[in-house]
Amino acid sequence: MKGIFLARLTSFFRSPGTFLLFTGMSIVFTLILGGVGGYDKITVPVSGDESLQTEFIGEALEESDVYNFKWQEVEDLKETIRRGNAEAGVILKENGYEMIVGIDSSNVQMIEQTVADIYVNKIQEENISELLRTENEEEREELLMAYQEAKENPVFGITNRTFHSSDAFIFDRSLHSIFGFTLFFVIYTICYTVLPIFTQKGNGVWDRMILSPLKKSEMYIGNLIYSFFEGYLQILVIFFVFRYLVGFDFNGELPGILLIMAVYSFAIVSLAIFITSVVKNIQQFNAALPILSVSMAMIGGAFWPIEIVQSEFLLTLSKINPLTYGMEALNGLVLYNQPIQELLKPISILILMGVIFMGVGIHLMERRHI
Amino acid sequence: MLELIDITKKFKQTEAVKNMNMYIGRGEIVGLLGPNGAGKSTAISMLSSLVEPTSGDVKFQNKSIIKNPQSLRKIIGIVPQEIALYEDLSAEENMKFFGRIYGLKGQKLQEKVNEVLEHIGLTERRKDIVKKFSGGMKRRLNIGVAMLHDPEILVMDEPTVGIDPQSRNYILQTVKRLNEERQMTVLYTSHYMEEVEYLCDRIYIMDKGNLIASGTKDEIKQILSLENTISIKADYWNEDFIEKLREHPQVNRMNIEEKEIVLVVSKNVNIFSEIAHLAEVMNVPLRSLDVKKVTLEDVFLHLTGRALRD
Ligand SMILES: Nc1ncnc2c1ncn2[C@@H]1O[C@H](COP(=O)(O)OP(=O)(O)OP(=O)(O)O)[C@@H](O)[C@H]1O
Ligand SMILES: [Mg+2]
Repeated sequence: MKGIFLARLTSFFRSPGTFLLFTGMSIVFTLILGGVGGYDKITVPVSGDESLQTEFIGEALEESDVYNFKWQEVEDLKETIRRGNAEAGVILKENGYEMIVGIDSSNVQMIEQTVADIYVNKIQEENISELLRTENEEEREELLMAYQEAKENPVFGITNRTFHSSDAFIFDRSLHSIFGFTLFFVIYTICYTVLPIFTQKGNGVWDRMILSPLKKSEMYIGNLIYSFFEGYLQILVIFFVFRYLVGFDFNGELPGILLIMAVYSFAIVSLAIFITSVVKNIQQFNAALPILSVSMAMIGGAFWPIEIVQSEFLLTLSKINPLTYGMEALNGLVLYNQPIQELLKPISILILMGVIFMGVGIHLMERRHI
Repeated sequence: MLELIDITKKFKQTEAVKNMNMYIGRGEIVGLLGPNGAGKSTAISMLSSLVEPTSGDVKFQNKSIIKNPQSLRKIIGIVPQEIALYEDLSAEENMKFFGRIYGLKGQKLQEKVNEVLEHIGLTERRKDIVKKFSGGMKRRLNIGVAMLHDPEILVMDEPTVGIDPQSRNYILQTVKRLNEERQMTVLYTSHYMEEVEYLCDRIYIMDKGNLIASGTKDEIKQILSLENTISIKADYWNEDFIEKLREHPQVNRMNIEEKEIVLVVSKNVNIFSEIAHLAEVMNVPLRSLDVKKVTLEDVFLHLTGRALRD
């Protein structure tokens, strides 16, 4: 098993062409089409007192990754929205805010959420700093209560939306491109690492191993671990390039992303085994791979947000597409900040798909060989 | 020692091997001959426990190995028809990989690799990547890899296809030497009669899934004892000449090539003068006219009415 892995690894170092090609394509496509680097945020006009601008609220607005809050006079703000140059604006006050909505898009809810969060944080901050200033034991107790209360019943009515279940979606072009192209191109890399199993069965290398004391399971595991390794290496390279060379911070979720990617890679290795088990020859494999991967990318939302796919039929198809769940988990983690329970759904589907494809694929391969 | 008993293998549309029987004794070199698609590869895959027969049994030392192939697998080495190597690894790395899967390691592995490299004449090219080897060198390595674990039985599937005469002779000599020095049992598959005639003690001939002849070289040639084979050579033929020969009552079979026609005629018939006369009348520029020594090729022609190779 170790021998197989090492033999594959040595071959890889001797001719890393395919790997470099697909890794390079992922990065280049993302840079060109994703506008990473100088990527654009949505501009949202805000207005309010000078004091708000320099204090907590103003600072917090600055920190938004998604929106570019632009300070304007109230009149200008209304004018901007009337002319349709912004979807919505916010008028900020000391203890609340007012949304001015031009177009009722999904972004409006997001903007409101962002602003509301800031106000909640502000109140918490104030309470906490108050708390720390007080010496009196009793008072502190009281304040703590007040703080808890404030946390549970905010001064303004905010319903915490789970964006997952509503129509709302966030689209961040740069993030989307990195995820999409990575998920897409890694399909090629992985499939081309599984293909040698097929060629080895044809040319006798596999027969030689069968006659040796090696176990069948070791033969598969050695090869498949290698496929996983090469696919995952590509993902690591891409994400490290964007994280440390381009300086993209992925909302601090890189470890989570890489975990999801590992599960996705496993699912794709299995898918590759399955494809290999049903094609009759290499020509068929070469023909099937782009058709399959491109359609997976299109209906799985790698090239554009899946939310714009409308056809019922395509949406049904997307349910059996590992890429859909890869995107779902990644977006859930990075864009929607979903809790782990939410993320577990796409992740477990990926694992399940991996197990099924692997089982069926190996079964078909074994049956056909005899 | 190793035998096929009434073996049949059906694929979806084709019956690749039909009711075949075969026996290989210890220390023998047995030849398996047949044209493309005869079922040779399929037969030896079943013999080496790689493919399960549709019906029939495969026995090694009188025990069926279809369900328990371990005893055979330990002592068999195969040289697949294709180049079964890692193309991106060097000759030595390939050897080490295949040696390791047989549990060889360290000093022992290295010694074995050196020894086999010497045997197949690739010691100087050991560090080179297989992809850059010539066809003949790949073939030699393909054979070498099968010998690392000192197999008692070596099964070779057309090991000399597509290589130059020198490499081929080298391979044939190596096989012969291994057989003589180590009593290695060899099953040698080929569609070259000369190779099989040179190497083998006993021969099986297959065609279209059927075993059509078997025995020692002499026994097989006896099949032709009632007939003579005549070779006619000329620069070109014409249709009438061929037609006349075909219609001739004493000509049992004939095979036509560009510059040679081989006739199988009943023994004791002298049609030399007749052929010479025909050639003159039909304007065929004869070069020679001989009675041929019987070869396995002729036996094949006799049995199937076709030449072994197209
Ligand atoms: N895996 C398979 N599936 C379907 N048909 C097969 C398979 N393997 C062999 N055959 C068919 O069985 C027949 C015998 O094939 P085989 O490879 O045994 O011939 P061969 O004598 O080795 O020929 P060659 O000299 O070309 O190697 C052929 O008609 C071939 O198409
Ligand atoms: Mg063959």
